[in-house]
Amino acid sequence: MANLAAVVGIGQTKYTTKRTDVSIAGLVREAAVNALKDADLGWDDIDAVIIGKAPDMFEGVIMPEIYLTDALGCNGKPMLRVHTAGSVGGSTALVAASHVQSGTFKRVLTVAFEKQSESNAMWALSNPQPFSTHLNAGAGGYFAPIIREYMRRSNAPYDVGIKVAVKDRLHGARNPLAHLQKPDITMKEVEESFMLWDPIRFLESCPSSDGACAMIIANEELAEQAPKSPAWIRGGAMRSEPTMFAGRDEVNPQAGRDCAADVFQQAGITDPRKELDVAEVYVPFSWYEPMWLENLGFAPVGEGWKLTMDGATSLIDGGDIPWNPSGGVLSSNPIGASGMIRFAEAARQVRGDAGDHQVAGAKLALGHAYGGGAQFFSMWVVGSEKP
Amino acid sequence: MSQPEILNQAFELGFTYTRSTGPVVGRFLTELKNRRIVGIKASDSRVVVPPMEYDPDTAEELSEFVEVGEQGEIVSFAWVKEPREAHPMDVPFAWAMIKLDGADVPMIHCVAAASEGDVKTGARVRAVWADETIGFITDIRCFELV
Repeated sequence: MANLAAVVGIGQTKYTTKRTDVSIAGLVREAAVNALKDADLGWDDIDAVIIGKAPDMFEGVIMPEIYLTDALGCNGKPMLRVHTAGSVGGSTALVAASHVQSGTFKRVLTVAFEKQSESNAMWALSNPQPFSTHLNAGAGGYFAPIIREYMRRSNAPYDVGIKVAVKDRLHGARNPLAHLQKPDITMKEVEESFMLWDPIRFLESCPSSDGACAMIIANEELAEQAPKSPAWIRGGAMRSEPTMFAGRDEVNPQAGRDCAADVFQQAGITDPRKELDVAEVYVPFSWYEPMWLENLGFAPVGEGWKLTMDGATSLIDGGDIPWNPSGGVLSSNPIGASGMIRFAEAARQVRGDAGDHQVAGAKLALGHAYGGGAQFFSMWVVGSEKP
Repeated sequence: MSQPEILNQAFELGFTYTRSTGPVVGRFLTELKNRRIVGIKASDSRVVVPPMEYDPDTAEELSEFVEVGEQGEIVSFAWVKEPREAHPMDVPFAWAMIKLDGADVPMIHCVAAASEGDVKTGARVRAVWADETIGFITDIRCFELV
């Protein structure tokens, strides 16, 4: 039986296109210091640092964790690096949590980041290969045909993605840390934005952001002494599958379904839509909301889009299961940090500390991340009450 | 028997990157442009060159810049007998750990010397500036023996 663990501190940077005023070290430092302040702790209170980011090729700094030890107060302590592509922020939080749940460490700092202004993420995701045509596709080009297949299978109306794009930006306008601030966005504006990767429009895509997110995870004894309400970790799961294999369902990946089943079983959840109060789910392209609503079991297969169109996932419309009240990946996307932001925002909700995007009375929340060719999944369920 | 022809294709992978150096490394590079070398004072009063952003012991932010000398002494070195294209000099030279006057830790740079025997631990060296300085570490073209 694993020991209990809880989030006792959360720190983020303001997400933006370019943080030219800080180095990569300065950026991760800012999130870490904010998390320490939130937990009323100092560097000496931390036993180990667990850090995650997307591929080194993004910023071209190989093994950045080595140079970041000074900035994260980690000299003389264990520094561990996690890497699972875009889901890395989520899996980093889970690796951090498991080091506390196992009793190895009492209190750890976990940090994830991306400084996209220094990087070349678009092409680092789309390497040319010998003997192949270079598609210059990037992430959107990879996911576009998968989205089209979802549209075909589900017979969803053409404007579901447009609705998600508007909803998440209206949510983001309530979150001062969100990169995109578009309080006046309309369906028409999204529909008229240029087609980037047919059928994905520009405004149906995530931005490219600089940012870092940090959390402090502590064992039961220390969490009970924390000055602010802890977010208790009620379950955590990760799953992976190869990018390509015969028979793989890329629209509704098995690894995502298995990961959700595992994390909900740990948290004692049988009906996620009913039992969860809020979810922060990795939606970098708008149509991934209805797709993941089905993959995670919030709706039957083929009907995820109905929740979106009914306003069930909108905080502003008073939906019963708000998705991404922080604005989600569609409002801020420092890639390596994006998964951890989902996990941290879920924790903020159950701590009752989410400001203007708080879901009233939230007690149980899902944090979700995916990465690679929708092949790595990481999820946690956090609650205001101890399990 | 003749070797079978091996299928091959020229392939080059390259990316362009940008760097934001931040307030500490950025200051160091800007000072180089002005032909000055600065370090930073750590919590134990050591002067670290090039400056680092955070204290190695306390992890606190560092901000007290200290100008150090253009001269210093060799702490250790490696002699490069046959320079390659990527090296900063096309004649034999030394990579050296150089402790500048006023600094407490050495930094790495290249040292021009007529022969390997001239380079020794404890030998005095002096910075040779590039004709045009632009805020790169190569603004110090090399060090030469004093």
